[in-house]
Amino acid sequence: MNSPPHPPRQALPTHGTTLTPQAFRTLQAMALGGLLVLVLGWFYSPLRIWSNLLVVAYYLVTLALGGALFLALTYVTGAGWHVAFRRIPEAMASLVPKTGIAILVVLALRMNQYGWQLHAGAPEGTDAGTYWFKQLWLDPPFWMARAAIYVLLWSVLALSLVAFSRRQDRLNPQELPRAIGSMKWSVRLSALFLVVYSITFSLASVDWIMALEPMWFSTMWGVYQFAGMIQATLAAIVIVGLLLRRPGRLLYGIFRTDHLHDLGKLLLGFSCFWMYIWFSQFMLIWYTNIPEETSYYIARMHGPWGPVVLVSVLLNWIIPFFVLLPKPCKRSEHVMMKVAVVVLIGRWVDLTVMVFPSTVGKLPVLGIWEISGACCMIGIFGLLFFKALTKSAPAPKNDPYYGESLSYHCS
Amino acid sequence: MTDRHLLATFDYEEDLLAATDEVRHQGYRIVDAYTPYAVHGLDRAMGLRPSRLTWVCFLCGLTGALVALWFQHWTAATSWPLDVGGKPWNSLPSDVPVTFEMMVLLAGFGSVFALLGVSRLYPGKHARTPSIRVTNDQFVLVLDEAGSDFNLPSLVKLLEKHHVQNIEERLSADQASCCE
Repeated sequence: MNSPPHPPRQALPTHGTTLTPQAFRTLQAMALGGLLVLVLGWFYSPLRIWSNLLVVAYYLVTLALGGALFLALTYVTGAGWHVAFRRIPEAMASLVPKTGIAILVVLALRMNQYGWQLHAGAPEGTDAGTYWFKQLWLDPPFWMARAAIYVLLWSVLALSLVAFSRRQDRLNPQELPRAIGSMKWSVRLSALFLVVYSITFSLASVDWIMALEPMWFSTMWGVYQFAGMIQATLAAIVIVGLLLRRPGRLLYGIFRTDHLHDLGKLLLGFSCFWMYIWFSQFMLIWYTNIPEETSYYIARMHGPWGPVVLVSVLLNWIIPFFVLLPKPCKRSEHVMMKVAVVVLIGRWVDLTVMVFPSTVGKLPVLGIWEISGACCMIGIFGLLFFKALTKSAPAPKNDPYYGESLSYHCS
Repeated sequence: MTDRHLLATFDYEEDLLAATDEVRHQGYRIVDAYTPYAVHGLDRAMGLRPSRLTWVCFLCGLTGALVALWFQHWTAATSWPLDVGGKPWNSLPSDVPVTFEMMVLLAGFGSVFALLGVSRLYPGKHARTPSIRVTNDQFVLVLDEAGSDFNLPSLVKLLEKHHVQNIEERLSADQASCCE
């Protein structure tokens, strides 16, 4: 497999474009149109609109946080392969504050959706031993304050990671040895981020999604959310990387087929990881068959939501796994683009299956509100992302691993 | 195929890669290349076919999964139906962990043993290296002196362009003699 030759380093364009003006206008129309329809829909059915808003905001904040997670993982593992296209996850990570505020607003819109059942007292047959704690933990002021703290911590850490990397760009050639020193701080910050992230994100996913059904619980919830998040993040990186590597674009000659291949391997791996975790959570509950645990799956697998669950498994694992197994597929632009789109749709279906049966009810819905929500999400993410991308040089040229990332062979 | 081999020794990985690529494009036959570590891109320079090991791995994994599924179904639902917590005998979710493990086990063992078999490796096998230094700091390219267009002077010139350190002719039977 020969990768297409990339132009030599000195010939790299420094100011390529990101998107065509038409694409920008389309994204604007999607974001504004989607948002407008959702606002109008609030008068029609607040609960259904709110469920859509929650899916959209949670999807966006996990994509942004996923960018920061990708950066932190690559820093602490001393990776060099991704450096050339590191501005993609950095632009995603720089969106953590904005998407964080979005989810805080959405949560504040229907704070009582969480734990309102608790005010009526413990339902019959539930464990009174944990009931007092749930009542305390899901108390609205405490719950909202926690959400704000999560978003604040993620924002500070993600923005610092991005700022450390952009600081390298301003170094003069004779100061380059200092780039290594600044990387040490990035590694330390990443380690801190990973610890903070793993605790706060588990709690946040429990607070924001699992608490929609406060009497149900799963100890695998945090890792399940992590699996979906990193999988969608990789798919998003693949899509924007492929868009930006076309001739004349920002990452032309920088985003190489070897990068695509390695991202494909990670996407294949994390698709399997998502399935593994999904099944582990399901099987433990299926095997023990305790009513207070099975309620989640009975609502989703016995009845009209059943086929939707199968679709989420098809999109998130079966298609990515079997399509990405052969090496030529991971190096093919067309195949990778399609699989990444499938995975992002699968993520949306997965989140819908988590949220909608608890709020909207027994019947799966797919109407103008859901489509507007998805359009609004793509539009907002596209606009914010490509704007964030142009705020720095297209590639971290002063990074010690930059040369390695441009020339390594992946096989 | 003749029994006479030409051994070209290089000091640097880049020289070996460039020389291998050019030698192959000039039509000389490459027997093998010896390096102290895995040199990225050498398979491409030597013009090796893509590995077929992936297919062995896939088919072994598939076999493992199918055998495990069939065996569990036969033991728990056909031959001696087991009632576990009132669940149906042919409950698929309970079969998944063993199926997964058997798939991984057979895919892993299949790949390793296929690799050992194809490369004719076994415990205690004597190393066949043209020089002891290919395990440390030297790179050796072995060429076959076959073909009517084998032209020693032009080949030597080509190798010298890539900073060859030493050129040596050996009978193929003696290739590994230095280390024995």
